[in-house]
Amino acid sequence: MNPATHAIDRLSDLSQQFLSSEKTEQAPVLKTLLTELRQAITEGRHGEAAAALRQVIVPSLDYSSALSLHRIRKDLRGKAAMPASIRLAVLGGFTTTQIAGFIDLALFALGIDAEIYESDFGVFRQEILDPTSGLHEFHPQVVWLGVSRRDIGHRPTVGSRENGAVSFVETERQEWAHLWSTLNERVGCHVIQNNFVLPPWRSCANYEMREDGTVSRFVADLNRAMSDATPPYVTIHDVDYLAAAAGRWTWEDPRFIHHAKLPCAPEHLFDYAHNLSSLIGVQLGVTKKCLVLDLDNTLWGGVVGDDGLGGIRLGHGTAEGEAFLAFQEYAKALQQRGILLAVCSKNNEDTARDVFLNHSEMLIRVEDVSSFKANWTDKPTNLRAIASELNIGLQSMVFVDDNPAERAIVRQLLPEVSVPELPEDASGYVEAIERHRFFQTLTIAAEDLQRVEYYRADALRREVQTSTADIEAFLKSLNMVGHISPVTAANLERTAQLIQRSNQFNLTTRRYAAGDLLRRLADPSSVSATVTLGDRFGDNGLISVALAAANGDALEIDLWLMSCRVLKRGVEHSLLNHLCAAAKARGLRILRGEYIPTAKNAMVRRHYAELGFTEVAGDDTGRTVWELNLDGWTPFPHFIHLEAPATV
Amino acid sequence: MTRDQIRSQVEEVFREVFQDDALQLEEQMTAIDVEGWDSLTHVNLIIALEKRLAIKFAAAEISRLTEPGQNVGTLLDLVVRKRSKPA
Repeated sequence: MNPATHAIDRLSDLSQQFLSSEKTEQAPVLKTLLTELRQAITEGRHGEAAAALRQVIVPSLDYSSALSLHRIRKDLRGKAAMPASIRLAVLGGFTTTQIAGFIDLALFALGIDAEIYESDFGVFRQEILDPTSGLHEFHPQVVWLGVSRRDIGHRPTVGSRENGAVSFVETERQEWAHLWSTLNERVGCHVIQNNFVLPPWRSCANYEMREDGTVSRFVADLNRAMSDATPPYVTIHDVDYLAAAAGRWTWEDPRFIHHAKLPCAPEHLFDYAHNLSSLIGVQLGVTKKCLVLDLDNTLWGGVVGDDGLGGIRLGHGTAEGEAFLAFQEYAKALQQRGILLAVCSKNNEDTARDVFLNHSEMLIRVEDVSSFKANWTDKPTNLRAIASELNIGLQSMVFVDDNPAERAIVRQLLPEVSVPELPEDASGYVEAIERHRFFQTLTIAAEDLQRVEYYRADALRREVQTSTADIEAFLKSLNMVGHISPVTAANLERTAQLIQRSNQFNLTTRRYAAGDLLRRLADPSSVSATVTLGDRFGDNGLISVALAAANGDALEIDLWLMSCRVLKRGVEHSLLNHLCAAAKARGLRILRGEYIPTAKNAMVRRHYAELGFTEVAGDDTGRTVWELNLDGWTPFPHFIHLEAPATV
Repeated sequence: MTRDQIRSQVEEVFREVFQDDALQLEEQMTAIDVEGWDSLTHVNLIIALEKRLAIKFAAAEISRLTEPGQNVGTLLDLVVRKRSKPA
């Protein structure tokens, strides 16, 4: 083994060792790891250092460890490849110095290079309202209003809910809403607004939530009022959940609130930053779509190949069986809200399927599983197969396996896949996964709730495709019905979500947020188009988006993306026809498109060439610009019946 | 734990917090003598000491430690006292 390979293994071993050691025994491992990381950076092995650092950035990091790891992150700034970046303004009602560093660290783990602007503490209102403030100069993409209960301006007292004619809740809500709309109008950014934490003490004891004007009742009502009335460019950051999950007494450490104006006890500060960062991540398209599950000792206790159908532990009656059932309940709940489930197990396929079909206590059914790999092939190979079958990237997968050796090999060979550390006791599985916030989301759209249905219909289509002689006959046989419409209030959330999630068929990977979309729609020179597609196997929902704007005699397409579920069905042709018609209707002569390469969108490198565009410009980053002359251009044929006449 | 043992643990925490592997604690040292010991790193120091030595400082003690007349010696005295009656 040469020394370089040895060093890589050493770093990777150390990060694995850190993850698997008990909290109380992490300190010495961390110390060695930090030394080795510094050494790697000194020797210019930046990629390896970054990979090892990412592995150990987990939400349970304690304050001092997070500080030390953030120093390494700072040493790596500008040296490690980062797929995404963000300009984030942190406006604090409390001291944000420490948490801003932790956010930087948590975003680094997600592959996001953060440039952070911090206001002085307590002056967030002035920063927002003063157009000459540093905030305005910074032009953030996201503003986080890091505020706490202490920043509430209008509080009732016990027995009084009204503030003049209006309730205190409404008065207070309106003031925050005013800050949001000012930010959206003047800065044009997305806003993340903290909600407020209920205190651990209650002046009215058990009657607290029933009595008008108590702190807890007021804060709870305010939180509800704020989240029920958020415009699309605002995300409510549920800090109250964090406090409740940690335990309200341990969440608040008054000593550090009073002495240092920290927002919570130091030990929870990294978790707080992690939660916030997961919201920023999902906005940039960093989120997981698929939970891949091992079977033996992961979904049930025991080894079905050895113990038999009757010998595995699952279901009511034994503590062990109930623990596995509870884990299945968790996975099933994720599946019901749109997370795909896959199975990856070393087993005979028949033996494994038998449990799903014939064990009375199995909660997860065969039809809940979108890809089922039970065989004797190694797990990294199976994970690749699952990714390609479901048409998702490896970075969209979470792999759950009770076997530390399997976890280690997947972490090593497929570093893009997230592999949470699992405790030996199955009753700890749910927490071990949930704490990572892999499945963070800004909204739940109708498409999420139907996702498994879409994938099942896909499997049927594939069967027909293999039994049909040629592609045209296949496409005709699908009886596809499409609908092209501009972005509207009704499809805004789904459109924004698709913009956040699409990586492969995405020409420019511009992550416009809902607020950006709203602003564009108000601009008369802009054209937006969304496509929904159904066929005889089912509805695919909204699967493609294009945004364009008139510039001179050209219509310029700055965003074109599509869900990979509907590749090669003619959607791109029908959308191109639509855009050409829209351009012509505006008297424009040219359609101009752009391709910006990323690590994931190579499949559309030739997109415009295939649609008959001519390359007119390019640069050494691989970015290319394409034009289509509309004089004498004729529409592409396709097999999608466009239902309502599309408005251009 | 003896005062010497506590002292070496505290010294290790100082080295980590102020990122100086050569840092030697002296009884007479104050915040001015340690590079980087400001109000922010003071909080980091307190948090790290609490964790390493399993002790808890009172709010007033956290503030008092940086006041005139306080030095590493008085900090060590405080830690020794706290270690003798567990938090």
